[in-house]
Amino acid sequence: METQPLKNNISSYIIQSQEDEIKRIALELHEGVGQTLYSLFTGLKFIETTVEQEALKGYVSDMGELLEKTIQEIRLLAVELHPPTLTTLGLLPAVKSYLKLYTSTYGIEVDIDITGEEVCLNQSERITLFRVCQEALANIARYADIVRAVMSFSWKENDLTIMIKDNGKGFDIEKGWEKSTGLAAMRERMLFIGGDCQLSSKVGEGTVVRLSLPLNDTTDKK
Amino acid sequence: MNRSEEIAHVCESILANITADFVGLALQNREGPDVRWHYAAGNSNEKYKRISVRYGKGIAGKVISTGSPITINNFPEDIQGKPLEYPIMLAEKLLYAYAVPIHYKGAPKGVILVGSRTNDPITDSEQKMIKQAASTMEGMLDSLF
Repeated sequence: METQPLKNNISSYIIQSQEDEIKRIALELHEGVGQTLYSLFTGLKFIETTVEQEALKGYVSDMGELLEKTIQEIRLLAVELHPPTLTTLGLLPAVKSYLKLYTSTYGIEVDIDITGEEVCLNQSERITLFRVCQEALANIARYADIVRAVMSFSWKENDLTIMIKDNGKGFDIEKGWEKSTGLAAMRERMLFIGGDCQLSSKVGEGTVVRLSLPLNDTTDKK
Repeated sequence: MNRSEEIAHVCESILANITADFVGLALQNREGPDVRWHYAAGNSNEKYKRISVRYGKGIAGKVISTGSPITINNFPEDIQGKPLEYPIMLAEKLLYAYAVPIHYKGAPKGVILVGSRTNDPITDSEQKMIKQAASTMEGMLDSLF
């Protein structure tokens, strides 16, 4: 009875469906709701120019400002859900863009070191690597208690290695794998794209996450 | 003493007079809705200087958007949403926080946050003192807007 491949297929399907749904919602927010609100905003601006009563003019102006904030919020939410650069420009630009947001959100600076030429990955590889990097960085923000981390990308002919290092608190690896569903999900996601996720950590010394992905001719350049 | 030094002095004096570990002042940017931490006392690192939250996000963004005080107890257990939505709590390893709005020209534009790295809430009289400090600071924000 081949239960393991079936389980893997189901998990893969769930992850893929979730990503598709996130992407759909992001697109709908950006292209649908966002555009409709923008039309309302321009309409409101026009109304503002025609209103003569000062009090009403101020009220319409306040509504316009609120609408503008909402439009910005919708756009940022859409980008956070699924960064468009991931599809248009690739993994590295999306990660670099995310790191700027990460530093301005958590105050943690991340040095990035890149060797080799970026290879065009297929969509599922790009999104998986991006999500796993996001998870590793989120763990640093939550647990590591550091002000600076290091991320390296090593592109070689046959493989890509990404390392995310911090010299923070560290943790007991065995307990970490047992307790954290986030860590297990990182490994699982990597396995689905044919890669691997290795973790090393020592209490008081820090943590290294090592992601590796073989690059081969079957890579779908979607 | 210039305005910045006065504001820093208020933060330090709050910290000296209540049983807390951290006092921070966040202000909404002059342009755009984002909220940034400008001053801190009792900070364990400089991360607060780089943290910027959107209007309505994080403790500071929520206090400014609602115009009401917010209390966080027993972080990260008893919170709404995810711990990652509370960057200043993570950056300063706070377990308790009490944050009040600072108004400028009638609208909430800033926040004073008092936090503790133990799970001990501040007293009602200390909360009053923080609200009083927030009122005092309202007159000091002219130079920052």
